[in-house]
Parts: sequence; structure tokens; C-alpha cells
Amino acid sequence: MNRDKTIDKKELALELLKPGGDSKLITHLNSCVRCGLCADSCMYYKALGEAKFVPSVKVDLVSSLYRRYYTKSGKIAPTVFGARDLDKEMEEKMIDLLFGACTMCGRCVKHCSIGVDIPYVVRKGREMLAIMDLVPETLQSTVDAAINTGNNMAIPTEEFVDTIKWMEEELIDEMGDENARIPLDEYDKDIFYTLNPREPKFFPLSIGAIAKVFYAAKESWTLSSKFYDVTNYGFFNGNLKEAAQISAYLYDEIHKLRGKRLILGECGHGSRAHRWEGPNYLNKKYDFDNITVVDLIGEYIRTGRIKVDKSLNKEIHTIHDPCNLIRSGGLMRELRFIVDCSVENLVEMTPYGEDNFCCGGGGGALAMSEYNERRLKIGKIKADQISATGAKIVITPCHNCVDQLLQINHTYKLGVTIKTIAEVVADALVIEK
Amino acid sequence: MEWYTYLALFSAFVCVGVFTYRLVYLLSLGMPKDLSQQIGSVKKGIIYSFTGAMSPTAKESAYLHLPTYTAGLLYHAGIFTSILFFVWVIISGFFAIDTPQFVNYALILLFSVSAIAGISILIKRFISPELKMLSIADDYISNILTTLAQIATVAYIYWAAAPFYYIVMTALFLWMPFGKTKHVLYFFFARIHLGFFYGRRNAWPTVRKNRI
Repeated sequence: MNRDKTIDKKELALELLKPGGDSKLITHLNSCVRCGLCADSCMYYKALGEAKFVPSVKVDLVSSLYRRYYTKSGKIAPTVFGARDLDKEMEEKMIDLLFGACTMCGRCVKHCSIGVDIPYVVRKGREMLAIMDLVPETLQSTVDAAINTGNNMAIPTEEFVDTIKWMEEELIDEMGDENARIPLDEYDKDIFYTLNPREPKFFPLSIGAIAKVFYAAKESWTLSSKFYDVTNYGFFNGNLKEAAQISAYLYDEIHKLRGKRLILGECGHGSRAHRWEGPNYLNKKYDFDNITVVDLIGEYIRTGRIKVDKSLNKEIHTIHDPCNLIRSGGLMRELRFIVDCSVENLVEMTPYGEDNFCCGGGGGALAMSEYNERRLKIGKIKADQISATGAKIVITPCHNCVDQLLQINHTYKLGVTIKTIAEVVADALVIEK
Repeated sequence: MEWYTYLALFSAFVCVGVFTYRLVYLLSLGMPKDLSQQIGSVKKGIIYSFTGAMSPTAKESAYLHLPTYTAGLLYHAGIFTSILFFVWVIISGFFAIDTPQFVNYALILLFSVSAIAGISILIKRFISPELKMLSIADDYISNILTTLAQIATVAYIYWAAAPFYYIVMTALFLWMPFGKTKHVLYFFFARIHLGFFYGRRNAWPTVRKNRI
């Protein structure tokens, strides 16, 4: 019986590679020429130096299955055309390389001589593994927590509310204004704001920072006490049903509270998952504005709703560009605009922007503790980039990146401070009473 | 016409037929449905995908690997020219047109350089541990056949080695739609998909960094 179920799941997984749907999948499964020139663009290969980490090896895992099961040439002459069976050995390789050795940062895509969308193919492989129940348990438990409790850290509502109330008191004290608020579950607000659960759990001051920005902008906003989680680890585990469920939490909550704009907090993958993938997960266009906090703060500065004084941030800053916001999100210009307005001394990393290296914490890597050693080794590339700038403060609008950068900072003794964009802007705010 | 000419012509029709079928199939499948709110231009993204994003200054695969990149360019220039030359050979055969001598010499030079480039890429595949691990039989066969096509074209022009030329071209045309050489079609779709993906998100065209 169990054996039959396993076979059924394999068949379902292989169905994902069946030609049809649109032309994207079949295109990328047929495009790689295995030139290997993508190797130097991948931090796993650069840091660990093993051939198995070359991005085209990861693509080939998936495309070899496509050739085996869906091409005549692969069925007739599998050895000649590199067509492989989906067997135990293949499953283990897929888990190790698609979950454990790719953050789906997309750096290799830009540098691929053909233009193969490597993370797209890797994600397809992850979807196959998800169907076969082969998602690493550590990653799956993060998704389960989000599905079951509404946030990926399973923070009880009472604890979250307490933290928000504490931050509200801090805001009142700092602003010297009894009317300063961090609204919870309020209706008909212009902005429905979201957080990475790491904020209430470990970094409540970043909630204070964005609340200060909203205070300065005199914004009409609210948080939800239940569905505030901007992350979507369903984007990483490859289970599209779970990804859709998590997207639906925010979609339903903004409708319940009758919010006008969904503002995605400082989380790279979460912003991407809700901004760009969410409507596709849910198969409907969103009937509300759906933008990131980077867009919103840029809008505040441009329209004069907040004033910032860059002389208040005098130290040398650098920017770590989150892959999902910059390379795959088009926010490079907007992020620079905000930072240029808010800090006096910016030194860019080499390379930066769409060429920047991932911090190493993406793709769900932070949740998969079995790959911690690998994750910290690849972080050396980012550590070297940061050191070379001479910066004292690293700005990044992504809490997953913050976590990885904090560990890199500790491991490689960089002696830097990591800040979110809201924290940097809050420090530069000029608040007129 | 000799039997081997007919054979090459037949294989060329098979090749074109298979590629045409695939082209029509890909076009019929269309682009992915994307319901997210578009902020950039798909058109600009696709144009950039074929222009700025392909610039050797934008690609590590080019500027970090200049010898391989240069060899690849020369190789592809030779491959495309040899296929066009095949068409010319057939047409000129029907109408008894001679190719000017200086054109023949130029072609011999191009195909010779292209063949050397192909051989150097093949040697790299044999000696690089990363490429060896990555390679399948298709990689070697595709390279050998296309390199051989350059050599056969030189032999045809210089020594009038018609049987060798037509038989090699027959093998190449029959292999092309099934080996990795099929990327001649999929390459264009891959670039279109990238332009579509990054264009609608306003990530492409990328910003010139000195203009931010």
C-alpha cells in the first residue's frame, strides 16, 4: 500500500515536468548547453569549490528527468542524452543540491550565456520534492508553523500584542506625544502593514523604527494582531498549496480590515512571494495596492511627507541588496534613493545591485539547520565584500538577510552593525512638532 | 545531383521540419499568465534581454572567461555561416553560379578558425574536472559534429570533397533538433522569457550604476 502511494507521488511529481501549460518550463528545460560558465557566478561553487555546486548541475538534475520521461530521444537512448530515472539516488541528490545548495538568488541567471532561468528550474525541482514529501523537515516545520498559527515563528497572539504595546510605549516616550500609536486591528486604514515575525520575536526596535516613520508621515495605518506575517516559506518549500494558503492569510485579512494598501515589510522573499507570486498562487488579481515598504518610504520622501537629514547618519554605510527585492524585484534605484537621502557616507560593495552576491540566508537556508555549516562558509563571500567597503553599518531591507548578516558578522568578526532601511530612515528623521 | 546531395537535402528538410513544429508548439503555448500588478515594460525588458543583457561587459560568463567567450563567438559565427553556405551550395548548384574566389578564401579562413575554436572548446570539456562531471555524450557528439561540419565545408571548398561534405552535413542536420544543438531555437525563447520576467518587474533594463 505504502509502495503504491510512493509510486503515485512520483508520478504526480513527474507530471510537473509534462510539456503543456505555457512555454516557459519547456524552454528552460531545453536551453542549458552545459558550458559550465555559470560556475563563477554561484557563491556555493566559489566558496566550496566542488563541481557538484555548479548551477548547471542543479538544472541538469531536473532537465534529465524531463528528458527521461518526456522526450523520445531520452527514452530511446538515455545515456546519450543524459536522461536519468527518478530513483532514490536522484532524490537524495535533488534534496542536497536543490534545497541545500541553492538559495535561488538568481545571480547565475544574469550571467548565464544562454539565459536559463536556473532558480525557476530549481523551484520546479523543489515542487517535485514537495509532492513526494521530501522537503527537509526543518523547512517544513517553518511552513507548518505559518499555516497553523498565522506566523512562521508560532508567536502567540498575546505575546505579539504585548510586544506591540511595549513598542507603542517606547514610541510615546520618544516622540513625547501621548497620541503616538501602533494601531492593531483597526478598520478602514490607508495602510495595512506587515512584519517579519523575527521583528516581534528578536528585533522589536525595528517595529519601533517603522512606527516612528509612520508617525512622522502622519500615516493612517494598522497591523493585524493575527495575520501580520510577511514571510511565505511556501515560496521555498515548493508546496504551492501552502504558499497559496499563506498568501490568502494576508489577502483575507486586508479585506476583513478594509485596508487600502498592503505594505510588505522588510523581507525580501516575503515581498516577492506576496507582491509578484501571491496573485498567481491565488489565481486572482489583487483589488488593492500591493507594494513594499521600500516603495512606500521612497514615496514619503519624494512627496515630502517625511523629512530626513542625512547628517544625522554620519558613519560609513554600505548596502546589502536582498536578491528578491533588487535582482528580481527592480528596487535597486529606489533603495539607493532612500539611502542617499538618509546617510552621508555610502560606500557600495563590489559588486552591488543586480550583481550583488546573496548573503547566503535565502532560499529557506536559514530554516534548514542541517546546512548551517555550508551556509556560513558561503557567507565568507559577503563577509569579504563588507570588509572591503570599510563600512561600519550595513543596511538591508530584509530580516532574513539581517539574520544571516548577524551570523556572518559574528563568525568573521566584522565588527559592523546591521540595520534595516526603516531603522536608518528613522535615525535620519526630522520630526516637526 | 548525387545520392548524398539528396540525402543532405532530405535531412535538412527533416531538421527544418522538426524545428518548425517546435517553434509553432512553443508559440501556441504562449507566455505564462501573470496576474501580479505590472510596473515595468515587458517590451523594454525583452529588448534589453537581447541587447544590453547580452553585452560581454554585463556577463561574468564573458568577461571572466574571455578566451572561452571569444572561442564561442567564433564557433557560432562559423556554424551559422556554414549552414547558410549549405543553402548557397544547393542554390548555386541549381543555377550553376560560381562563388568568387576571394569569398572562398574568406570562408576557408572563417571555417578554419571556427573549427579550431570548436576543438579548443572540446579539449576544455575533456580536461576541466567541472565540465567532465557535467558532460554527457550529447555534449561531445554535438561539438564533434558541428566542428566536423566546419572542416567538411573547408574540404568542400578547397578540395571539392563533396561526398564527405554532404554526409557530414546530413549527420549534423539529423542531430541538430535532438542534441543540445536544439538550443538554436530555445535560446531565443529563453531570452524572451527573461525579458518578460524582469521587464514587468522593472528590474530590466538595469540602471547604469553611474546614473543612479
